[in-house]
Amino acid sequence: MDNIIGKKVKRIDAYEKVTGKAIYGDDIKLVDMLYAAVRYTDIPVGKITNIDCSEAKKVHGVVKIALFKDIPGQQKLGPIRSDQYAIVEDEVFFSGDVIAIVAAETKENALKAADLIHVEYKPIKGIFDPREAIKPEARLIHPEYKSNVILHYPLRKGNIEKGFSESDHVIERNYSTGFHEHAYIEPETVTAVPDHTSKGFKIYGSIQNPFTTRKVVALFMGLNMNQINILGSTLGGSFGGKDDIINYMACRCALLSKLTGKPVKLTYTRENSLKESYKRHPYYMKYKVGFNNDGKLKAMKINIIADSGAYSSQTFFVTWRSVVQATGPYEIENVETDIRGVYTNNTYTAAFRGFGSPQIIFAQESLMDEIAEICGISPREVRKLNGFKQGSITASGQILNKHTVSLDEVIDKALIKADYKKKLEEYKKLNEQNGRYKYGIGFSCSYRGCALGAEGTDATSAIVSVQADGSIYVFTGLNENGQGMRTTFSQITAEVLGTDLKKIVFLEPQTATITDGGPTVASRGTIMGGNAVIIAAEKIKMRIFNIIKEDLQVNDIEETIWKDGTISRKDQVTNIKSIKFEDAAEKAYWAGENLSAYGWYNAPDVSWDEKNGQGNAYFTYVYGSHVADIRIDTSTGKIKVKNITAAHDVGKVLNKLGAEGQIYGGVTQGFGYTVIEDYNIQDGVVKSDNLDNYLIPTIKDIGNIDPILIENEDVDGPFGAKSLGEPTLELTSAAINNALKFATGKQSYEIPLTLEKVFLGINLKKPSRQSQVATHDSCKTHVRVVDKQTLRITDIKTITPKNLKDALEQLSKQELQILSGGTDVVIELRMKTGEHTLLDISHLEKLKNIKVTENEISIGGGCTFTQIISNSDIKKHFPMLTKACSTIGSLQIRNKGTIGGNIVNAAPCADSFPPLIAYNAEFVLTSKNGTRKISADKFIIKNYKTQINSDEILIDVIIPVPKKNYEYSYFQLGRRNAVNITRISIGILISFENNLVEECVIVSGSLFHKPMRIKEIEQILIDKELTLQSINSIEEPLKEIIDNAIGKRWSSAYKLPVFINMTKDALTEIIVQRG
Amino acid sequence: MIKIKINVNGKDHELEVEDSMRLLDILRDELRLTGTKEGCAVGECGACTVIMNGNAVNSCLILATQANNATIKTVENLEQDNVLSKLQNAFVDEGAIQCGFCTPGMLMSAKALLDKTPHPTEEQIKEALEGNLCRCTGYVPILNAVKKAAE
Repeated sequence: MDNIIGKKVKRIDAYEKVTGKAIYGDDIKLVDMLYAAVRYTDIPVGKITNIDCSEAKKVHGVVKIALFKDIPGQQKLGPIRSDQYAIVEDEVFFSGDVIAIVAAETKENALKAADLIHVEYKPIKGIFDPREAIKPEARLIHPEYKSNVILHYPLRKGNIEKGFSESDHVIERNYSTGFHEHAYIEPETVTAVPDHTSKGFKIYGSIQNPFTTRKVVALFMGLNMNQINILGSTLGGSFGGKDDIINYMACRCALLSKLTGKPVKLTYTRENSLKESYKRHPYYMKYKVGFNNDGKLKAMKINIIADSGAYSSQTFFVTWRSVVQATGPYEIENVETDIRGVYTNNTYTAAFRGFGSPQIIFAQESLMDEIAEICGISPREVRKLNGFKQGSITASGQILNKHTVSLDEVIDKALIKADYKKKLEEYKKLNEQNGRYKYGIGFSCSYRGCALGAEGTDATSAIVSVQADGSIYVFTGLNENGQGMRTTFSQITAEVLGTDLKKIVFLEPQTATITDGGPTVASRGTIMGGNAVIIAAEKIKMRIFNIIKEDLQVNDIEETIWKDGTISRKDQVTNIKSIKFEDAAEKAYWAGENLSAYGWYNAPDVSWDEKNGQGNAYFTYVYGSHVADIRIDTSTGKIKVKNITAAHDVGKVLNKLGAEGQIYGGVTQGFGYTVIEDYNIQDGVVKSDNLDNYLIPTIKDIGNIDPILIENEDVDGPFGAKSLGEPTLELTSAAINNALKFATGKQSYEIPLTLEKVFLGINLKKPSRQSQVATHDSCKTHVRVVDKQTLRITDIKTITPKNLKDALEQLSKQELQILSGGTDVVIELRMKTGEHTLLDISHLEKLKNIKVTENEISIGGGCTFTQIISNSDIKKHFPMLTKACSTIGSLQIRNKGTIGGNIVNAAPCADSFPPLIAYNAEFVLTSKNGTRKISADKFIIKNYKTQINSDEILIDVIIPVPKKNYEYSYFQLGRRNAVNITRISIGILISFENNLVEECVIVSGSLFHKPMRIKEIEQILIDKELTLQSINSIEEPLKEIIDNAIGKRWSSAYKLPVFINMTKDALTEIIVQRG
Repeated sequence: MIKIKINVNGKDHELEVEDSMRLLDILRDELRLTGTKEGCAVGECGACTVIMNGNAVNSCLILATQANNATIKTVENLEQDNVLSKLQNAFVDEGAIQCGFCTPGMLMSAKALLDKTPHPTEEQIKEALEGNLCRCTGYVPILNAVKKAAE
């Protein structure tokens, strides 16, 4: 055994993925293919009173526009309750509802037509908080179901009131978690192709659960299941996300394909994806817990409201996992849990890695630390006292005796690896010093049921087929979502048959060739599918054995070894030769043996009593523990995760490379969920509409991750393996929250732990994205601003001038948008409608020079940030400029973005401004009629509005070389550590004379309506020694200045105190620099 | 429509394209080099990263006119004579790939770095890859792969 199992095995699909040859859904291009676009609702909630397609139909190349009335089959769809439309009838329920679909010869024309479909509405007042929706007087969102409560799962164990009455302490806590977006890097895409053989359709695309898609499309189209063949394509990430939304997209494509007779492709932009795709459920959780002085849990009463959004979707399944696991891995005598899934008019919510567990673990593991604190025992002790042990009974009455209960093992291994005890002491001491940074360490633990459990039928399929030359096909009724399933299943086949992995081809699955293996969800791929593969491979092994047993002179398969491509006797007998696998296969082939076998695996029995929430919910469980080691900047509320130690009992490691990969990825998503991912939807309108305002972690945000894989082989797992994908994400939030509590002493009951949340204790709402503000307020263009249905670049003309003179000539004749690096302009163009003519100055070499003289440095307006950062003279004389420019965007942005563009675009957050103002830079503006200079501090009038005239180009930035020595300090604050929109920046330059501040320049960025000096504060510091005392003296006056300027803004509650802190920190840094 | 000359992976092309086309569209739709991916269209995710005149850039933010006379390298150029580059092999060996959608962009950002800085520090690697989002791998294996390729 262990031929290949447990090794670090390279992915079998790696080659095509590192060469760009893997075909993802949007890479598909077919002859005569049409492109589809969707027409979203303009408002989140309302009745549709009129749909006018007349103008849209006139767009060149539009082949078909389809509406609700064109649906041939079942109009309303859904996994349990059919309450959702792929195309709505006469009412919209959330902002991602689709009213019409268009097919056209080009993508652009399809989108243009979607823009031109005019819809009239009678708005309805939406309900956006499930706690409002649940009230009896609330308007019914789907009146046919007679309640906004979609489901209620109760769980009852023991006597809750008795439990509370016997407790020394009873506490009650409320927790909440936000929406969470999957943010797979590949946006959704589907292509439907007419299939004349089945008189149905073949469907390609980014499909997580092909059998579900098949069923939904068949219903919608009024066809049989065997008329829909789902072939999928390489899937660019899913995490539970490419299920329902893909099914509806597939319905739309199939309908358009039917109506046009042609292949139809629908690919989403990121904005489409964020608007329409479902999210993780926000949970509102009330935990009431009774416990004794020693920390022993006596009773737990839990009430949870889950926001299902506009549709029920997977809420039935997601919340069921929550009701099973809500008490955590603790033995509690008396439990009463109630969970309700509730309709609102928010984005609907459904499956996402974790599936109803990250929310409850955040609550219940934060709660455990609080209980420990109240009892004066350690977080470890409270878990040791109450945690599951072999034979423990869960809240649902299940006795844990069929697998190894390894809760203590996972916790202890994680704590030892994280050096928990030592860090606890070390950080306690460090935090007592009351410095700017506080340090924290905290942990969490969980148990998790494997596979679907009692939520549904749990069976799956696999086919293993050996060819006459000994090569092998494997395919399954499950799907490769990027997790490495093909590799694992090929490994399992290779292990059973003792062959080389290279002999195996994993076939692209298609629903027409194998029985429905259920969805690839619930971390069930390995444990369920792996067993199906073993069953199939074992069948073939036995058939081959029967052919060759005489040659080996054995009677029982147990007498043989299948390894390294040969079959041999266990007891080596000299005159009996081993047989090569391929020779055995060939012999079996000529003997007429069937070398293709079906593996069908049914999960072991589970049970559930709906009324009391009692039963054996899952056939086995996994255990995990995360330890978070963090640092908090108390000046800003920013959390830095230094290290996450993640210990997971996986039963048995099948592929070490893949298993560790799951941990790295899951932990990083868990970190994002906890700290930076903040899906912003206000009154049903999605504000987080692209990855610049729904932030996910970059490579600079996540610290070290230490994976620990623990093996306690499971009796029902393939080679003893269980699950790993989801547990890796579910534990991180509580670990970070507990570390935060340790560091700051403040308990948080809500995630995400944004800057504002950590600093103020509340989560402030953000307004629209900066780039939209730019478009709407722009003084540079005079176009009618209309929201496009799908953002893209339309109707532009570009002019390439021969030289600068020609460029200025062109500008004098007509109003042109100047295109330099394009890193702002191209983004803004996607939002604009109407015609635009751009003057491309990116080729003008004259603007790309940096000239250095004794007195000044002149930077051409076309110089990129990368050019500026790497210039040694700039670094020597203007180090603050180098530092500020290096925080702009990403390296790719800095390689293209120009200083001229940054200045002229004049965003309040433009990072080059504070240093340019501090260093007294002047901008040289040239037009056909002459040249003028304007100083950096006078250039911006207000947000995005500057002194430049429409016929001028900023050709140079001239900065005088300082005549004396300045100390400098520059801080930039963003929500992430890279690719940020700057929240606040501060630049300070100070010269000293006889140890007194001689000159002082303090420039703020992203604070006021433009970057500017704060001269009143500079004056306070001048002619004084720079000391902590003098620094403290600026606090009150600075507060007054900021309060007067921005006191009424949404962000001032945070920006005011934080800017003061950052200013003080920047000044303190100068003291430190001087030694 | 505008006429542009562009050298992609060593081959010269003269193309007449719509003014609104981005370098990304030219690569994917005109030249059928679909290894370069679109993930956000606003320069945030880096899936569309290619090397333009030696620098990693977001091909979704470059209009056709800006790409005129440029030399472009895409992921399709990394494998030469059916042999994977050291960088590609390192990605395979270290498990730096899961769904693979960010991989072409990651590889091109890493390639641009290693071309200029054959032995980068960890900080330099992070800086080079800061504009490439990955949702599957948690970055650790990617960082390890680039380190390995630089050995």
